Amino acid sequence: MSRAELRAVGLVRRYGGLTAVDHVDMSAPPGMITGLIGPNGAGKSTLFKLLTGVEQPDEGAVLLGDRDISKLRPDKRSRLGLVQTFQVPSLFTSMTVRDNLLVGVENRRRDYGGGLFGLGVRKNPSHEQVVDDMLASLGLSDLADFVAGSLPTGALRLAECARALCAHPDVLLLDEPASGLDAVETERFSALLRRIADAGVAIVLVDHDVDLVFTVCDQVYAMVGGKVVAHGDPATVRANPTVQSVYLAQGSVAA
Amino acid sequence: MVSVELAIAGLAIGAVAALSGIGLLVTYRTNGVLNLAHGGIATLVAYVYREMTVEWGFPVWLSAVIAMAFLAPGLGLLLERLVFRPLARRRASAAETLVASLGVLVLSLGMCAGIWGLGTRNDTPSIFPDERVGSGSWSIEVDTLSTLALILVACVFLGVVQNRTRFGRQVRAVVDDRELAEMSSIPADRVAAVGWAFGTTLAGFTGVLLAPRFGLSPYGLSLVVLTTFAVIVAARLSSLPVAVLTGLAIGIAQSELTQFSVTGVFADTYRTLTSSLFVVVLLVLLLLSPKLRELGGDAGSAGRLSSREAPERGTLGERHKNLIIIFAGIVMLMAPLFFGAADLRKAFLVPALALIFLSLVIVTGYSGQVSLGVAGYAGLGALFSLKLEAGEFPGLPEMPGLLAILIGALLVAPIGLITGYPAIRRRGLALALTTFAVGATVTVFVFNQPDLSVGVYAEPLYLGGWMLNDKAFYIVEMVGLGLGLLAVYNLHRGRLGRALVAVRDHTEGAAAVGVDVRNLKLLAFTVSSVVAGLGGALLSHSTGSFSSTQFEPMQSLLWFTAVVVFGADSAVGAIIAAAFIVSINVFFPEGSSTLAVGILALSLGWLPGGLASAVRGLVRFVALRLADEFVEPEGTAPRPRIPSQAGVLTPAAQPTTGRSPAAVAPGGGVTVDLTAVDRVAAARGLTLTPFGRSLLGRLGGGAPAAALPVAASLPGPNGASPVTAGTGTLNHPEGGRP
Ligand SMILES: Nc1ncnc2c1ncn2[C@@H]1O[C@H](COP(=O)(O)OP(=O)(O)OP(=O)(O)O)[C@@H](O)[C@H]1O
Ligand SMILES: [Mg+2]
Repeated sequence: MSRAELRAVGLVRRYGGLTAVDHVDMSAPPGMITGLIGPNGAGKSTLFKLLTGVEQPDEGAVLLGDRDISKLRPDKRSRLGLVQTFQVPSLFTSMTVRDNLLVGVENRRRDYGGGLFGLGVRKNPSHEQVVDDMLASLGLSDLADFVAGSLPTGALRLAECARALCAHPDVLLLDEPASGLDAVETERFSALLRRIADAGVAIVLVDHDVDLVFTVCDQVYAMVGGKVVAHGDPATVRANPTVQSVYLAQGSVAA
Repeated sequence: MVSVELAIAGLAIGAVAALSGIGLLVTYRTNGVLNLAHGGIATLVAYVYREMTVEWGFPVWLSAVIAMAFLAPGLGLLLERLVFRPLARRRASAAETLVASLGVLVLSLGMCAGIWGLGTRNDTPSIFPDERVGSGSWSIEVDTLSTLALILVACVFLGVVQNRTRFGRQVRAVVDDRELAEMSSIPADRVAAVGWAFGTTLAGFTGVLLAPRFGLSPYGLSLVVLTTFAVIVAARLSSLPVAVLTGLAIGIAQSELTQFSVTGVFADTYRTLTSSLFVVVLLVLLLLSPKLRELGGDAGSAGRLSSREAPERGTLGERHKNLIIIFAGIVMLMAPLFFGAADLRKAFLVPALALIFLSLVIVTGYSGQVSLGVAGYAGLGALFSLKLEAGEFPGLPEMPGLLAILIGALLVAPIGLITGYPAIRRRGLALALTTFAVGATVTVFVFNQPDLSVGVYAEPLYLGGWMLNDKAFYIVEMVGLGLGLLAVYNLHRGRLGRALVAVRDHTEGAAAVGVDVRNLKLLAFTVSSVVAGLGGALLSHSTGSFSSTQFEPMQSLLWFTAVVVFGADSAVGAIIAAAFIVSINVFFPEGSSTLAVGILALSLGWLPGGLASAVRGLVRFVALRLADEFVEPEGTAPRPRIPSQAGVLTPAAQPTTGRSPAAVAPGGGVTVDLTAVDRVAAARGLTLTPFGRSLLGRLGGGAPAAALPVAASLPGPNGASPVTAGTGTLNHPEGGRP
């Protein structure tokens, strides 16, 4: 099955005098894990917002496959297969984890179109099955019936990933999904990412855990001050002098 | 064709609007609060001023000094200290602050209405001598001249303070980040207090200047002041000069319009325009200016208005809970059928009002949007159905009353859709103000048009050739309420319900997984307008005719506040709110319900989450104490039961207090099926003690509510604990999801 590639072309986003995203070109091909690193305030989350349509770029375009999706609303983009998780988990706090995932399944594109605004009350038993399978495969079954607002952040992040997966993405944008996970969990999480990518999904991973990014990703973009300063396979980016200096200055990385 | 005379006449109103705008801006800039209560305070000060001059015979100057130099700033200081400082302290959401300022508005209007009644008084003396200076067409009223001078002084003063003094720098620091400012030892509270005092002083001036021109009535005058929001919207809540110039410009333009006259169908519309330009400008600015969409942050996202203090911990075991409470509620609503004729007629208002409140539950509680224009939709439903009934609705045949009520309500749908479309694209204060402006515009251009709305009477209703008597009408109302509840129920279950809650809980997160946010909000908005229309239609049938005062724009604000107070996402709360308001109006003088709602709304500052949540907190406290009394300690064998227990207890489950019949509280005084309580407890692996059973039975609580903060951070598979059974005592509007 051929899935679409996500491309950003010359994206610019300014906040007053500050250019948070500065002419960024990027591509996330199917089946690959694309890493995106950069110090705080580099513009990674803002780039995500432009890609998913939460915010409009001042310049540039977002392409999914051959289609220019720059003008579409976020939910429409999501139904085309572009799904994101947020830096601050965005679970629906008054619902159970299971219902959170159900929302993901129920609004995904393949099931869209029937009923009022695609929201007929027709009950689809397979939806619940999908959710249960997803919960099981992420080891979340025990939490299924807990209200999302009561969970600790680690579980929230995992549940948010599960909800995103339920939406059946072609492209999955993950904003710091592994922050707050311990070493063992991170290990398991990277295996999960691999599995998803192997199914043909394009993943874009933002994380401050540079080791995780460099091990699990197929290609890496490094951003500083809104600009892409390095791009290539992990080894190349890691060796890049700008990346070196930024991260050594921050003291958070191991070269 | 600019006429100097008209321009100068227009300046009078324009200048007052500008003054009001300055007050609003100062409060906003120093506190971050868009003071919806501005009009209420203006009205209150004007009433006190009139009382002093007219009733007590004080000289005008003395009354003016007392009102403007002591009363008005004092009110500001009081509000800051008692209402808004606590909110700022706990970093309350913008939505909560919005509700608090609505609370102040409702409270001040309630005080005016309670003390001085709802009628209009035209004898307020002007502070300034009623003279003109200058000559010929260039003469200007002293009143206007003084207002202009006041504006000039205020602007210069503010400019100097802001740019030249340490205080100005402190203001800016506080506005940027109050906590940070406090840490650098800036007296943030003092800055906020001064801002409030200044704002309310100008509000006082506004009221006292407007009262002689427009007459003094609680709703009327505060509405005039609210329309001056056009000025600060034009200024985008920041620029003082823009606000002043806009105020003067609208005033002049409105006055200049009077030199023309339009004949034909638009004659009335045009004439209305010449007196209501501020409302129109407010609406147009809000609709046309895309940059205003997010005016002032997220105040309009009402997710935080939920009566449930999210996030709740523990499991959500049962979803459809409290069936017994709902059943009891229905029994209570049926009670008026056994009232005497006069009381039954008073009870007519309850289901109608409950429907209007339900419409707010849909749009605010479920879809998370502030709506301050519900009276407009309700009034349209009323007008449409009465016109249909009389065969006066253009393009539609005369129809029997019952059908007319239904069709009239449905006809509101297209209007809800059209007005909802721009509204839902706005957030925050922009949404709140847009819905308000829509409601006010409808009132001005439809409800206040004598041709359209005077002498519109309800005909007796017939069903199958039988004229419906009062009881039958009440049953019709119950059926209407049932329809509304059905709409709520359908919006709240299954795929649609989940999607709506998702949008309310986290709009961006919902969009990120494909939920069609815009259409969902639109759906909720439209359904809500129909439900409001149905409520309005029943309301006008209960009173026998269409009355524009029933649906005035200020009602929208009062109703919205009431719904939030009783739990914005609770359908049962909506019904209780309606019963509460109607019974207060029956038992106490007019305006008392406004006063009561205002007091309750302000108590939200201390009881975040609303009354429902406060009751819930109290119950939890009691339950924790009583937990051991209720439930057999785990691990011990259940005590042998006394066989005749249920039989003995059931009679005891009668109401112990003589409730006023109109103040229905679901669950109050209804025999409860105790076995249900036991069943639920058993399902949770708990055994009730006899005391627990008796208390549950007495309080009429049904199945224990599912989610209760169980003291577990990462809960185990079974969140049940002794405390959970304690929730069975809940005897409050929590069962909001029928
Ligand atoms: N709504 C906004 N208004 C103004 N400035 C903003 C806004 N959103 C982001 N910025 C600024 O844009 C820059 C980029 O922010 P962004 O959140 O994209 O960084 P990031 O790379 O995700 O950082 P982090 O690693 O901390 O998440 C920052 O300087 C931030 O302050
Ligand atoms: Mg970020």
